[in-house]
Amino acid sequence: MQLKYKFILPLALLLSAVMLYPLAFSGWLAFHEYRLTRLDDVHFVGFENFVLIATDPSFLNAMGNTLIFVLGAVSLELVIGLSLALLLQKLNILRNFSRSILLAPMFVTPIAVGLMFRFLLNAELGVIPHYLSKIGITVDWFGPDLALFSLILIDVWQWTPFMLLMFLAGLEALPKTPYEAARVDGAGPWLTFSRITLPMLRSVIVVALIIRALDAFKVFEYVFAITRGGPGNSTETIMYYIYQTGFRFFRMGEAAAAAIMLITVILVLVVLLVKFSQAEEARK
Amino acid sequence: MFSFRNPISRAFATLALLLAVFAVLFPFVWVFMESIKPASLGGRPDLWVFSPTWENWNEVTLNSDVPFNILNSFAIALVTVLISLLCGAPAAYAFSRFRGFESARYSILAAEMMPPAILILPFFLVLYHLKLIDSQIGVIAAHLTFVLPVVTWFLIGFFDEVPRDLENQAMIDGYTRFQAFYKVILPAVRPGLGAAGVFGFVLSWNDLFYALLLTGNESRTLPVAIAGYWTFRGVELGKMAVAILIAVIPVLALSHSIQKHLIRGIGGGAVKY
Repeated sequence: MQLKYKFILPLALLLSAVMLYPLAFSGWLAFHEYRLTRLDDVHFVGFENFVLIATDPSFLNAMGNTLIFVLGAVSLELVIGLSLALLLQKLNILRNFSRSILLAPMFVTPIAVGLMFRFLLNAELGVIPHYLSKIGITVDWFGPDLALFSLILIDVWQWTPFMLLMFLAGLEALPKTPYEAARVDGAGPWLTFSRITLPMLRSVIVVALIIRALDAFKVFEYVFAITRGGPGNSTETIMYYIYQTGFRFFRMGEAAAAAIMLITVILVLVVLLVKFSQAEEARK
Repeated sequence: MFSFRNPISRAFATLALLLAVFAVLFPFVWVFMESIKPASLGGRPDLWVFSPTWENWNEVTLNSDVPFNILNSFAIALVTVLISLLCGAPAAYAFSRFRGFESARYSILAAEMMPPAILILPFFLVLYHLKLIDSQIGVIAAHLTFVLPVVTWFLIGFFDEVPRDLENQAMIDGYTRFQAFYKVILPAVRPGLGAAGVFGFVLSWNDLFYALLLTGNESRTLPVAIAGYWTFRGVELGKMAVAILIAVIPVLALSHSIQKHLIRGIGGGAVKY
């Protein structure tokens, strides 16, 4: 065997065992009727699970909720993260102090974040509604209208730091000359930002968006800690749906089919995003 | 670069930054306050002045399963990270140095992004048949699915920065390629190994999804235990606050130490700044 393959052999073997094999197993599951409660009756059903899932209104609802969650959370995180990165870069006072604090949330275990906000925002006992009501605002954060939005805000609290981290490094690496030229030409701050900073940060922004979006698709902890999918099924996300199907209703085959459909949706979105950013590149 | 020369816009900018700092700090301050509130006063949102007590801390650290949960979380994270470094470091080196691995490099990233929803079903079924549900081994195997790719990806960027002359010189001096790797190159990326290890440890320590479904009384990890402080009635809230702080403080300290390496790691040699 060539030397270079010896270096990757341990990784390849281990990844085959913990990833390829489970993936293949999931593929097999998706085409079988496989209920944990009826293990003696496992049989091939063709595409039946896929049909069942694709026509299940709660699957479509969960997919919709997840897409709204991903879009809402990631775009807010992008805007806030970029603004904070610019602020931090400009304000040299407080920089190190604020940076350390602002990055902290991304390391906290998400279930703890979920539970903290569950109680901070609780209608009767939470601190935030308590003070809001003193200035005359009553908001039911986990009511049917706002629950998904509240989960988005929690994700923004936890993951804007990731965007901030990426953009701070991106800003630090930008060359100085274009800015000097812009100043000589009398360009204002907005023009400088939109014509110089933003285009030069493009590749960092695309990478950060992809990483964050793929991660946001996995949202589970906040739902599990706070709403359990409710009220109704207004906050049921795709991960929670698969968890319910597989481990509450023990329908492993259908859960596997749902997971495969999730991966397909993610793949399509990633390909579209990459294609879009390449097309943008080519336009220049 | 433009700067906030105008004192008014500078004041607004400072205010915005302080607001963000406040938004981040507030939940931590609140959770600490809850942890030292007497149990009888738990869940009173209007209460900031009270005589602090350590009863919740004593109760959780001396009279609950939490120390055992910490031990489980710690052991699982440590073993996962050690295996990941052992298998990931040589592979990351190969991805960084040899031709023909470009697509393999990105399949590592794809593995890192794989939704746990598709892996958990087979994991559960296989471990169930092996009678390994509620054992640390099952959780370690599951955590390898994300820690191993992350650690490998993380290290590629660090190997990319080591000049090739270093191992060429070592091989001229009579080392084999493999000796050059572990006697010369590995020591040169020691900060990277440390940072990747810490990052992988934090990911494993923070996981709820796999641990929730694969552990039981004998192997429960800290995040699952935290999720178990369910009710919003006095005593439980204070205890939950303690458990949250215990889960969060070590991780914040660890992560702070690797802050400056994080960017290179997450970029994995793909993002050039």
